[in-house]
Amino acid sequence: MRYGKTLRMAAAVLLASLGTQAMADVNCGMNTGQAATGAPIIVGGIYGDAAPGDWSSSTDSAAAYFRCVNANGGINGRPIDYRVENDQWNPEAAAQAAALLVNDTPTVAMVGNGSFIEMAVNANTYEQAGIMVMASACAISECFETPNIVSTNEGPLPSNLGAAQYAQEELGAQHIACIGLNIPDNGIWSCQAVQDFMRSRGGDSTAVLINPGAPDVNSALLEAMASGADTILINQPAGIALAILSAAEEQDLRDQYNWIAPTPLYDLSIPAAVGEYWWGHLYVNAELAPLQVNGPDAQNWAAVLDQYGSADDPRDTFGQAGYLSARFFVQAMLEMDPAQLDDRAAVSTAIRGISGYTSDLMCGPYYVGDADFHMPNHAGYMLKVVEGGFEIVRNCYEYDSPYFAPHIALETQLGLR
Amino acid sequence: MKGLFHVTPSGWAGFALAAFAVLVLPGISSSYWLSVFTSASCFLLAIAGVAFLYARLGMVSLTQVGLMGVGGWIALRLNYAFDFPFEVNLALAALSTMVFGWVLALPALRMRGLYLALVTLMAAGGLEILFATFQFPNGGDGFWGVKTGSSDPFRRPFLAQSAEDYLRYVIICAVLGFVFIELHRRLQPGRAWALIRRSEASAMAAGVNVTLYKTWAFGITGLLGGAAGALLAGSLGLLDDGTFRASESVMIFALAVVGGARYWQGALVAAILYKVLPALLNIWGVDADLSYVIFGAGLLHAVITAPDGLAGQALQGLRSLLRGKGRRDA
Repeated sequence: MRYGKTLRMAAAVLLASLGTQAMADVNCGMNTGQAATGAPIIVGGIYGDAAPGDWSSSTDSAAAYFRCVNANGGINGRPIDYRVENDQWNPEAAAQAAALLVNDTPTVAMVGNGSFIEMAVNANTYEQAGIMVMASACAISECFETPNIVSTNEGPLPSNLGAAQYAQEELGAQHIACIGLNIPDNGIWSCQAVQDFMRSRGGDSTAVLINPGAPDVNSALLEAMASGADTILINQPAGIALAILSAAEEQDLRDQYNWIAPTPLYDLSIPAAVGEYWWGHLYVNAELAPLQVNGPDAQNWAAVLDQYGSADDPRDTFGQAGYLSARFFVQAMLEMDPAQLDDRAAVSTAIRGISGYTSDLMCGPYYVGDADFHMPNHAGYMLKVVEGGFEIVRNCYEYDSPYFAPHIALETQLGLR
Repeated sequence: MKGLFHVTPSGWAGFALAAFAVLVLPGISSSYWLSVFTSASCFLLAIAGVAFLYARLGMVSLTQVGLMGVGGWIALRLNYAFDFPFEVNLALAALSTMVFGWVLALPALRMRGLYLALVTLMAAGGLEILFATFQFPNGGDGFWGVKTGSSDPFRRPFLAQSAEDYLRYVIICAVLGFVFIELHRRLQPGRAWALIRRSEASAMAAGVNVTLYKTWAFGITGLLGGAAGALLAGSLGLLDDGTFRASESVMIFALAVVGGARYWQGALVAAILYKVLPALLNIWGVDADLSYVIFGAGLLHAVITAPDGLAGQALQGLRSLLRGKGRRDA
């Protein structure tokens, strides 16, 4: 009997130890292991989930991280109440989401936003309300060229440039057909940058634009082929990109072109989704560190999602970016005077003061600064789709474009270069 | 002309509701609801146009949201091209869309019933493709006015810079739209439309220029749709082709029937169903797409039991109630 009791106690100690070990796998905020019980601090987030794409992975990852922070002491004992709204890829819904979260709710900041629409509609609202948006899945120019929005992801312009630069330097690309969405501040904006880059290097680029509401991928592909390109850049959300690749496979176009894509195709489900035909032939720019880099933050993100997210939360770049925005936000909040945590203006000042935060997920330091533009992340990786995953074909590299001159000047001013 | 400005009890009720909406509603609404009500008021104006066409002439237009897009496009283009005040842009957008409505109507007027509806739906589909291909002006050069990158600022009315004032402004425009329709109904065009609705042959025999008055009605619908689009552009500061899909034109026509095309209350019910109900579901944490199920149920209800729509059924019920009360009092 005594022997059995001792055995049970030993088993309990072992289980407790394993549990502690499991808890130690995540590192969130104050990391106390005690749930936060104080008055909540309200934080908002807006994502877009409707045809043609679901951009909720950033807010999903941010929400998981905030749950982890709340279970580990919160912000000086105060939990984060994270409220998210779906803009449905609709300007009216986007304006209503911001009205609800920014004007009607005492949110101190917006974190993890991911959308094609809402930043264009709401950039003025954010500025007038004096609230900072630490976005994560930005795809339009307003994300990077307005004073109150800063994102951990690069956006299509740098990611396209990264892919184009790699193709020009390593794959011998002379003429790139950039298949973008027919949205002035997204596809047109980012494909134009590729054209400028290619012309600066003696090549050329042609923009092929798709209507996001009714994407006709076959026509786009035919137009890209007719342009005389030797490289096809699929500047699309993952769903449309997969349809383009499928159409190209049906016509057996793989070996006639170089195939490159920006970061939306960096998703662990992509190699299986595109199939064996594309393994070894499709190159993808990753805005953040791919999983095999597996640094402390990458591991922490995965562990946070496993423990505080749901199984179907995407493990993709935008998820990483959502986690990073949330982590940097919490870091900034923990450095603030606890008495000012409910003061939107003070929180905005703290966010603008962020400089030199680092993570193994990012190639360079994260900063915000007091500027009318923000693009702290403009360096990334180049990957090749292979069986079961992605192979790194170029490690962290900065993209070569005059577009980044003001960003580099700001980084120099902040002492980050 | 004597009874032209006579206000009926229904008219007084409408003015009272409008006064409440202008004086009280913006003051008690949160920012979210200001945005929802502004959007609903813009679409109220557009729905009034499509309901008017159906109620007065029995003609089905499935282009109304496309016409809103035309008005919005013109307002944006004028805003970036010239320094006109918002009111000038609004008036020019509405008038230009009216002309567009005429142009659309002339070939379409050879059709009736289902064929007319199909022609207008095809026009809406064509506009959808144009909007998706050429996008809405954002401050660029050239005819299309689209530039790479972010939109330039959009000028709101001088008197309606805040969200509250802009809601008031849009409600007043919607009321003016209803008054405009009602004045037409009481004048010669209204009499001609009534005759055409009964029998085109009789109308022609009576000397009514059927083509003129049908085109006139299409023009009014275009005017109201164009004004609604310009007001929506003022609300958001930009427009997106996703707002002006052909399916949305079908939706607002269906909702105009559900609400009751013959009554101003019907247009109001339709606008509330279209814009306020999804927002309410969203606030309650329910998927806003559930509203489509409710729209479908409403349409079935209207088709089976309420040919005059929910508003007609409610007003009929109210009249019966008052008659019953009157008999009991007597």
